[in-house]
Amino acid sequence: MKRWLVFMSCYLAFNAWGEAELPLNKIEVATDLPTLERGAETVMTVCVGCHSLKYIRFRELSKLGIAADKVDGWRGSNPMGTPVASQMPAEAAMASFGKAPPDLSLMAKAREGEADYIYSYLLGYYTTPEGTTGNHYYPATKMPDILAVAGVTDSTQHAQLEQKAREVASFLSWAADPHAQERKALGYYVLGYLVVFTTMLYFLKQKIWSKLDRA
Amino acid sequence: MVSRVLGWIDQRFPLTPFIKHELTDYPTPRNLSYWWNFGFLAGFVLVLQIATGIFLAMYYKPDVNLAFDSVQHIMRDVNYGWLLRYIHSSGASAFFVVIYVHMARTLYYASYHKPRELMWWTGQGLMLLIMATAFMGYLLPWGQMSYWGAQVITNLFGVTPFFGDKIVLWLRGDFSVGDATLTRFFALHYLFPFLICGAVVIHLVALHTVKSSNPSGISLADKDNIPFHPYFTIKDFFGLGIYLIIFCAFVFFRPGAFIEAANNIPANPLVTPPHIEPEWYFLPFYAILRAIPDMLGGVVAMALSVLIFAILPFADRTGIPGGAHFRPAYRIMFYLFVVDVLILGYVGSQPPLGFVVPLGQVATFVYFGTFFLLPFISKWEERWMRARGLPPELLALFEQRPPREKLPREEVAK
Repeated sequence: MKRWLVFMSCYLAFNAWGEAELPLNKIEVATDLPTLERGAETVMTVCVGCHSLKYIRFRELSKLGIAADKVDGWRGSNPMGTPVASQMPAEAAMASFGKAPPDLSLMAKAREGEADYIYSYLLGYYTTPEGTTGNHYYPATKMPDILAVAGVTDSTQHAQLEQKAREVASFLSWAADPHAQERKALGYYVLGYLVVFTTMLYFLKQKIWSKLDRA
Repeated sequence: MVSRVLGWIDQRFPLTPFIKHELTDYPTPRNLSYWWNFGFLAGFVLVLQIATGIFLAMYYKPDVNLAFDSVQHIMRDVNYGWLLRYIHSSGASAFFVVIYVHMARTLYYASYHKPRELMWWTGQGLMLLIMATAFMGYLLPWGQMSYWGAQVITNLFGVTPFFGDKIVLWLRGDFSVGDATLTRFFALHYLFPFLICGAVVIHLVALHTVKSSNPSGISLADKDNIPFHPYFTIKDFFGLGIYLIIFCAFVFFRPGAFIEAANNIPANPLVTPPHIEPEWYFLPFYAILRAIPDMLGGVVAMALSVLIFAILPFADRTGIPGGAHFRPAYRIMFYLFVVDVLILGYVGSQPPLGFVVPLGQVATFVYFGTFFLLPFISKWEERWMRARGLPPELLALFEQRPPREKLPREEVAK
């Protein structure tokens, strides 16, 4: 019976997965400090109202280069080594949404599409015929339309929200993988070294094997 | 000084004779192509996995409440922890790429023929150990895919007649995958690589007894064998350089390529991810599991699909050496089989809906059909080739029965 249930739930899950998905809007993830700082501003003042970033400590935000007075403003009396916690108690969240808002530190890696998903999701809100808001990318979402994108008709205003969503997605991409820049920078040296070294090995191999042809 | 030290050691331990016999005098066919590099590469990947794994184990905590966090600790706080972990996680996939190519080379050149049956079978044992190790290692990050993958796969053992439920309980140490499962998988994930090392030694002792096969499939004359060192040490190192360039491109620029998005969500027994999918290297076998409508049948078919390779030394009844290199029918079968495995991999990655279901069933049928037809096709092919006239080198082989290579008994006696 249990086995059958597991199989059935997998089957139903596969079915749900198989439904056509909306293509995500692709974005270029920014890595420059001003964009990350603006993204951090939105995340720390808006998102953190409900969500935590438990793998990010305030110290890492200042290490990233965010101005000290900003970080101090966000952390209040907390020491620099404190992880970024949600400002909403878990019980209150359960009471209002029926589920705890997920931690955001890995969000940019925890969804198919990564930063594109966050960007598309944040801008995916629309007003239903019944007057409530829905989301194209995550219909079951409990999160309110936090950027208030559903009612926007003006294109310049929409462009501003797109910019904001891109900043948030970029900051969360940094939060999910803080060593990404360092990793890529090191990667160029490693690959450069390997290409030179392998080329030398190739010529050494040719030299060693040429002895055979002479023999 | 060096020679005095070496002399002192050699009186007590056969170091110099060992190096001479296994390296500087070890006869290797000079016509080995780069496809023969992959055994060495597999050994390299094994060492790299063990080296990175030991350092990861110093920071990892096998506890359901700490495991996910400790992986993030490694990724964020440990000096170059991200590098260790990405080498290890990409290394798992690289390991399968390397051993699958190594196996495909053996299949293509039919290197499993006499006298290399034990090479083939110990290699298969190695593959099973590597699969078990990879499967257990995948649970350790304690993400959603880790948890549900382990849940689904351990559940498969439940189809065993009579003791199914007991075996599942024994494997998990609990009624569902939990802390007991995580701790035992961690202990075994640390143990198995050393068993693999032992099995590699057996694989190598067998290799150095029968020596490498070569693309011609014929035992070469002494003049066509060259010492392993320096010729093949340098060739292997050049191959290693190429391998490392590709591997490091993944580690440094696309490290997430082999980590499912759902595995960045901590394991949650109450929420099933929308799409449970094994790692890419298990997908063909997973597709075979799902192709059979009956669960017991599916599990048996999946186990058989891995184990059936063992019959090849008997199933391939040809006397023609060199595998697909010389044999047209075998070559067609080889390529069809490779395409079939790729199709099965695709089927395994898709939800079982629509055309994917019959496609998987046909591909499963072709998979087993290849093994079933091989004894007949190989015999027919040999007759056909002999009727057409063999080249003189091969004809000479047939005149001196047994047709395939003779065991180099003199070498063994030495």
